[in-house]
Amino acid sequence: MNFSLIIELTKRDFIERYSGSALGFIWSFIYPLINILIYMIIFGNLMGARLPGMSSVWGYGIYLISGLIPWTAFANTVTRSSTVFLDKKNIITKIRIDLPRLPLFIVFSETITFVVTLVIFLGILLITGFSFSPYLLFIPVIYLIQQIFAYSLGFFLAMIVVFLRDLKEVVTIGFQIWFWFTPIVYVFEILPSLAQQILFWNPALAFISAYHDIFILQKMPSFIYLTLVLMMSSILIVFDYMIFKKLEKDIRDFI
Amino acid sequence: MIKVEGISKKFKLYHSPAYRLKEIIFRQQYHKDFTALDTISFEVGAGKTLGIIGQNGAGKSTLLKILSGIVIPDSGTIQIDGKVTGLLELGTGFNTEMTGLENIYMNGTLIGMSKDEIDRKKQAIIDFSELGEFINEPIKTYSSGMTMRLAFSIAIHADPTCFLVDEALSVGDAYFQQKCMRKIQDFRASGGSIIFVSHDMNAVKTLCDTAILLDNGRIIDYGEPKEVVDFYQNMMLKKMHQGEVEVNVKKGKNDSSQNNKNSYRSGISTNQVEVLSVNIFDKSNQEINYIESGDFVNVVSKILSFATLDDPHYGIIIRDKFGSEVYGASTESLSLITAPQYKGEIVTAIFSLYLPLSPGEYTICIGVANGACDFGIFEEYCLFIQDIAIIKIIQKHGKSRFGGLVNLNAKMDILKDNDKVNND
Repeated sequence: MNFSLIIELTKRDFIERYSGSALGFIWSFIYPLINILIYMIIFGNLMGARLPGMSSVWGYGIYLISGLIPWTAFANTVTRSSTVFLDKKNIITKIRIDLPRLPLFIVFSETITFVVTLVIFLGILLITGFSFSPYLLFIPVIYLIQQIFAYSLGFFLAMIVVFLRDLKEVVTIGFQIWFWFTPIVYVFEILPSLAQQILFWNPALAFISAYHDIFILQKMPSFIYLTLVLMMSSILIVFDYMIFKKLEKDIRDFI
Repeated sequence: MIKVEGISKKFKLYHSPAYRLKEIIFRQQYHKDFTALDTISFEVGAGKTLGIIGQNGAGKSTLLKILSGIVIPDSGTIQIDGKVTGLLELGTGFNTEMTGLENIYMNGTLIGMSKDEIDRKKQAIIDFSELGEFINEPIKTYSSGMTMRLAFSIAIHADPTCFLVDEALSVGDAYFQQKCMRKIQDFRASGGSIIFVSHDMNAVKTLCDTAILLDNGRIIDYGEPKEVVDFYQNMMLKKMHQGEVEVNVKKGKNDSSQNNKNSYRSGISTNQVEVLSVNIFDKSNQEINYIESGDFVNVVSKILSFATLDDPHYGIIIRDKFGSEVYGASTESLSLITAPQYKGEIVTAIFSLYLPLSPGEYTICIGVANGACDFGIFEEYCLFIQDIAIIKIIQKHGKSRFGGLVNLNAKMDILKDNDKVNND
């Protein structure tokens, strides 16, 4: 399986979503635009939610969205990767495909969504008179680490889901819980110290708080935790590959 | 070229896939083995076609899947120079919402073409599929024939060195099938190998250079397609046989170059009856081995019985040089009532035939069965011998020639209309 197949699958993944509709690709701009506007207006203007230590009306909305966008990319990548072997069954059972590389098209496809959403978000920020910090340039690095982690996890789950189909429901529920155990809607500091200690072990905290650092605190994100996540992902990928070598035959037989 | 050596594949049958994980964790066996393929070896040279036949569940599909790399064998090696494309994956990844052109890119990439390659070949693909303007319409607007035409066009333009063909090509209408067959012939002529899996025995006999017969995951016969198919069909007769006496399937060398009575013919036998002789006579009772097209012959066979057959039926089949059945008849099909043949009795079966066939060599097969059930179906198949005699048919002297297999004796008149069309 070559790289062009991944590109083709990515393209397909995108086109398929809106194929047949008149506006087509434009819908992928409309959805995030509406979402972002709703969050900004409802939380900022209507509910008057304020972020501690921030006077701006938009503060909470920016906080929420700057965590929500990467989280959505991360969660979608993992959950969709976890069922990729079953979803692409019609191809896998007919054509020789390199299975470890297959989830990559999901990583790419979610990246496109992420970039589009982020650009819209930045555009809205520009209108609200947000002052951009140069640390924004770190976003690609953070995102890369986040998606490597997502891939390592997604590939692992994808292999296990072939044997344990129920796992995909567990993954969906797991991500619901994980979402609320990550400071996206709320601020880390409001948690009691015990909860803070537990949450400290949440790898998603490393990248979500990095985005918060950039957008809210406008400071250099902490790369120590991100490096740890990167190392953890690397180990997981090696581990994934070992499992794959052992189970490839069974995976192909069971699909 | 394809070289396959010692391929084996066992499928582990689990109660549910989760038991595979349980097995790893508890280090206990939770599966039953099912041997799909057992040490399979064969070779297909460049420009050659190999036929694979066998009953359902014999392992044909598994073998194709292993060759195309979808299923990984437990042991054995496969050497293939170049790309394998299977016609079993015709149209894989087609999305009906997307246009034909978009699907060329998707399917083409899936079967291993690069983007450049598709850019270069897409016009040829569209031309071959004859879809014209439709190529920019979504596939859902296509008829099934159009979809298959597109799929086949992509597959044949992927430049494989080996084609895996599952079942007969049912691509579009007769015209397009002809076009596909020509393209496949070109492909063979340029050194491509084909592996052809089919239940169409005549197709196997005419298209393939060699054939293998799979049974329960093993190759039980390998060689000339005609011999392998004969053996397979004899095995099927054995399966249909309901008598108490066991049927033996004989595998012989069909030496069609001479009418040698000692040469070992393939067929089946319960050893209850024996064909003592088969002779061919012309109208004037002269024994002959060739006739002119359109002559009458009497095929006379002496059959000895070692057991009493209460409802015996005697049959004949005429086959062409590929082993395709040209004609078959029996006492049952002719609605003749036969008397029981007693133990030790010899009967002489005389088949009077009119053979308006095109010139060539034809072979005669003789069968004896007991207990008619339905047309061509019997309770006991006592004896069936393939190619027991050969008859050569030559062009009738001074007679007109004809195309095809059977002379339908066309008469023709050309009438001229006396009222001339006035061109002035």
